[in-house]
Amino acid sequence: MRKLILLSLLSWTCFAQQQVNLKDLSTFRNPSTNWTIEGAVQAAYSDTSLQVATGQGILVNTLRHGKYKRSDDLEFTFSHGDIHVMFEFMLPKGGNSGLYLQSRYEVQLADSWGKKKINFGDCGGIYERWDDARGKGKEGYEGYAPMQNASKASGLWQSMEIDFQAPRFDASGKKIQNAVFKKVILNGILIHENIEMLGVTRGAVSLQEVASAPMLVQGDHTQVAIKNLRYETYDKPSVRMGAVSYDYYTGKFTEPIIGTAKPIKSGKLDKLTYKVIQDKNDYLIHYQADLEVPESDSYEFQSYWTGSGVVKVDGVELNQGAHWYSEMVSAKTNLTAGKHHLEVIQVKDFPWGPQALGLYVKRIGSHPVALHDRTSLLDPEAVGIIEVKANAEPVFQRSFAFHQGKKKMYVMQVGDPSGMHYSYDLKQGALLHVWRGPFLNATQMWENRGEPQTSEPLGVSVTMDGKFPLVLAHQAQGDSTELVYKGFRLKDGRPIFMYQWPAANLQMEDYIRPNAAGTGLERTFTFKSTSPMQSASELVLGNSYHGIADVTAKLIGLQGQSYFVQWDGRPGEVLNPKQGLKQERIPVQGNEVSYQLIW
Amino acid sequence: MKNIHYTIALLFVSFFALAQKSTSKTEQDYYEIKTLPIPKEIYLEVGGLATMPDGRLAVSTRRGEIWIIENPYQSANHQVHYKRFASGMHEVLGLAYRDGAFYCSQRGELTKITDTDRDGVADLYEPVYQFDISGNYHEYTYGPVFDKNGDMLVTLNLAWVGFGEGKFAKWRGWLVKIHPDGTLEPYAAGLRSPAGYSINQDGDIFYGENQGDWVGSGRVTHLAKGDFAGNPGGLKWAKEPNSPFRLTLEEIQDNGAPMYEAAAKVKNLKLPAVWFPHAIMGISTSDVLQDTTRGKFSPFPGQYFVADQGQSKIMRMGLEKVNGVYQGFCINYREGFQSGILRERFGLDGSMFVGMTSRGWGSTGKDDFGLQRLIWNGQMPFELQDIQARPDGFELSFTQAVDVNSVKKAASYALRSYIYKYQHQYGSPIIELKPLKISGLEVSADKRKVRLVIDGLRQYFIHEFKLEGIRNESGDPLLHETAYYTLNQIPTGGRLAIQASNRMEEAAEVVKVVAKPVKSTKTAIISDAEAMALLKKHTCLACHAKEAKVVGPSYVDIAKRNYTDKQILALVYKPNPQNWPDYATEMAPMSHVPAGDVLKIASWINGLRSKALLNHD
Repeated sequence: MRKLILLSLLSWTCFAQQQVNLKDLSTFRNPSTNWTIEGAVQAAYSDTSLQVATGQGILVNTLRHGKYKRSDDLEFTFSHGDIHVMFEFMLPKGGNSGLYLQSRYEVQLADSWGKKKINFGDCGGIYERWDDARGKGKEGYEGYAPMQNASKASGLWQSMEIDFQAPRFDASGKKIQNAVFKKVILNGILIHENIEMLGVTRGAVSLQEVASAPMLVQGDHTQVAIKNLRYETYDKPSVRMGAVSYDYYTGKFTEPIIGTAKPIKSGKLDKLTYKVIQDKNDYLIHYQADLEVPESDSYEFQSYWTGSGVVKVDGVELNQGAHWYSEMVSAKTNLTAGKHHLEVIQVKDFPWGPQALGLYVKRIGSHPVALHDRTSLLDPEAVGIIEVKANAEPVFQRSFAFHQGKKKMYVMQVGDPSGMHYSYDLKQGALLHVWRGPFLNATQMWENRGEPQTSEPLGVSVTMDGKFPLVLAHQAQGDSTELVYKGFRLKDGRPIFMYQWPAANLQMEDYIRPNAAGTGLERTFTFKSTSPMQSASELVLGNSYHGIADVTAKLIGLQGQSYFVQWDGRPGEVLNPKQGLKQERIPVQGNEVSYQLIW
Repeated sequence: MKNIHYTIALLFVSFFALAQKSTSKTEQDYYEIKTLPIPKEIYLEVGGLATMPDGRLAVSTRRGEIWIIENPYQSANHQVHYKRFASGMHEVLGLAYRDGAFYCSQRGELTKITDTDRDGVADLYEPVYQFDISGNYHEYTYGPVFDKNGDMLVTLNLAWVGFGEGKFAKWRGWLVKIHPDGTLEPYAAGLRSPAGYSINQDGDIFYGENQGDWVGSGRVTHLAKGDFAGNPGGLKWAKEPNSPFRLTLEEIQDNGAPMYEAAAKVKNLKLPAVWFPHAIMGISTSDVLQDTTRGKFSPFPGQYFVADQGQSKIMRMGLEKVNGVYQGFCINYREGFQSGILRERFGLDGSMFVGMTSRGWGSTGKDDFGLQRLIWNGQMPFELQDIQARPDGFELSFTQAVDVNSVKKAASYALRSYIYKYQHQYGSPIIELKPLKISGLEVSADKRKVRLVIDGLRQYFIHEFKLEGIRNESGDPLLHETAYYTLNQIPTGGRLAIQASNRMEEAAEVVKVVAKPVKSTKTAIISDAEAMALLKKHTCLACHAKEAKVVGPSYVDIAKRNYTDKQILALVYKPNPQNWPDYATEMAPMSHVPAGDVLKIASWINGLRSKALLNHD
């Protein structure tokens, strides 16, 4: 059997964040009066300004005292070198702001919702550089458009994650390494990876690059709201390992226990490496080294091996067990400043599988330190993506797909040239995800043959509740509804799903298509038969564990304002089906009921 | 001009081929393969084929599309034309066309597809039946095949979790009948990987099975209602009220004894009609199709053509019924297809469309997918026509009159019989191998039939015939000289009286089968040519090549493992698939190959290492 290995080596998992205090403005240096702290913010996607409600937790540039003053830029009190920063932001329609790393390298925050063609000035773009000496009309240069337009609608909360590496300088102050945007992730979509900055971007506080400087939020253009701002910097010292001594044993070791065995070979190494092992299997290797801990703190040991192994510090077992080399095993321990004794024992009692040994130590506030030689841990092998495109006409594709961590078996994904796509559970007549951007990643399903045989959205996705939205009046919406799937017919290339709903004794069709304005999807249920239950049916517009933002009478923001639902007809009724959950419903009138999803 | 150059090049190649092999005929001299070109942007991983009565061909793919091809017979114009009829389905591994609609299997659904506005593109997709499915990648769904009542047969692959498992989703491991009203009738069980099946002219269902757990080797089995074909993965569902039989795993012996012994205790355990010895007659049996073209497709009307995915070839199977039980023989027919064969369907002209995909498994044909046509050019090859069981042996018939001298020589034959284990482990070595002796024979008046009297016939065993010495009257050898007959039943009736006139002229050569203990003397390295001859003789080349990765690793790659010759011997006799996790198909134990030969091969393999060091930096 072919082993299909999901390589997740060094994935971006451990982000130990420090939360920025947004109870007040004390994190910022001389904030202008345009900046306030608020408790809630909302806006319709068509609003050019944000409505605020008093409270704490949200940083808002209200622009109440006017705009186009650089003094309205908001500077943080702390300086940073390498930094990993995450936050959520909301822009009004036409919004324009940005985050300057080290007050010099700007990632643009802008309302680029729905734009087909984007450039460096769109949301998530790394802004252009500027030099008047280049001549009129040619001053702007460089700058990097996001790999895709990952923007959500104005008036929704969007997320941004930036991993930035500061430039490096030698002792004489000469730059020896450029600043790098290692990763920029907008709304969960990777939009830049390892872009090296050849200099500062336009609007930097100085052309002079430095090792450390504060972040800056652009405040001179439009309103912007920011919350949940977290970061990690990497200036704390971490462990240093001394010379490694090793002892090599051969024999049938199923566990990393030496027992009474005698080593057949011993030696010294600069770093841990499996390369001193001479056999493919039936061996034990025991590495020992001194570990110099600079400051008392919690240290995380992240190890990788094929076979079984154990990591011990001062004789205490941390990581252990039988693993494949692509699985990270992790354990945290508190270490005091000073010298500690590190031991790694590794065995492999089977001949297959690549040999590998890797060990990182991660301290919050410093980069991971590799205690192994680079060649001791295999580089992951990437596979070329198999993309299903929906550029010219609507397309649909059935597959298995994950929804809220569960694998669904009867999933239809429908892509549209408008760039708005959805996935749908055919058994449940239920939306699973809606997304915008490129359509579908089918690589897992169509490359080779193994598990899990799923496909996934390629664009900015919003997770739906996965439930059939029609209910009988005054009855609770179940986790599932008994439905008889009757197939689908195509209209203009788009599927219209057909169902029988036994509880209401109704035949119906479910048609999901881009809405007339092109802002989202419109979903329409049409009843093809009549039954007395029809007028006693209700449509659940949405379920939300994070409150419902009543933006207007017929426009609500759900799941922490991560998407809008809009409808015509009567205002909805809000229920509280269980603790913490809000549900909004409208009654079904006539043969048709519809609503729109906008994100 | 380009076309002319191409033609000249072809002519040159064929002249060259002729010059090289002026005497011995090849498969290509009779059974021609034509390739249907595929537009570069189409990923035609064929899962299903349906011949349409209007001269078009429909192809379903693993990427969920149905393509309709115009001019698939390439008459006058070699170019063919593709139009996408349907799309977006979930791994369509079976396709049928009936009354203007397509029926196909998706992983979780049997679907009817219609073009209601007749614009050439489907616009209505209706579920005929929704199958239970757990989401395991190995839960493939194949079909439908329509029976004469309009019911649809569908086979449901087991999940793979280190072994075949059917319990996660209902009716996995079964052949089911879906009635037009959407009800399911469980029909037969014990299926592991039933990728190909069909109904013969008498209305009987045959399916091809892949070697695996509880399946010692590839095989074709006749399935009647209530049959249990051997793999217990799906037996959970035999407890259901509508199951046609009751059986539990506990009732099945798992002691490595052959399947016929277990069948003596489990009355509906169905023995294969024909075993296809692993690595020799394929490694992954797929479609089974009876030649119903009345002589258009092949010189063997009524016989069956069985495809193999891993070895990219089509084999021939002849069946007879003895005591009411199907049994018969298999023999190679045509190799050299471009990818792994999954589907065979006859065209309107009696040629066969061959649909291919090798994704996930690899195949001898190196393309990722392909579509070809197999055509008999009407020339009569010298072939074994048929093998039929007799009370005291077999009757062989040939397509041409034989040279009587050649058939009367015992040295023209090498016969032996053996069987496989029936066990939960993956695959099986050959066991209970015995040489067979021909004691007498009789040649028919037209010299087309040879009746052999054989000592030591064994019921249920695979009887191997190697007919290297047999010639026709022009002195040509058989196009295919090796066949395997599965002797489920020995017919009753008259025996051939052996007299001086029909006694075998000389003692039959006894094939040595017992692996002798090997002394650790260093084996001299044989030449590449000698190695290739040995590798071919023992069918190693079916899965391995010297330098290229085929089904298994190349010999150069094996050399890099630094095994000793003796370790290689041990691994040939008892392979450890976990040594090669990147290869999808597990190696079968080849313990029937004499140790001396394996050691010669092993030292040759290890010689490749030093050569590699010398020749390639």
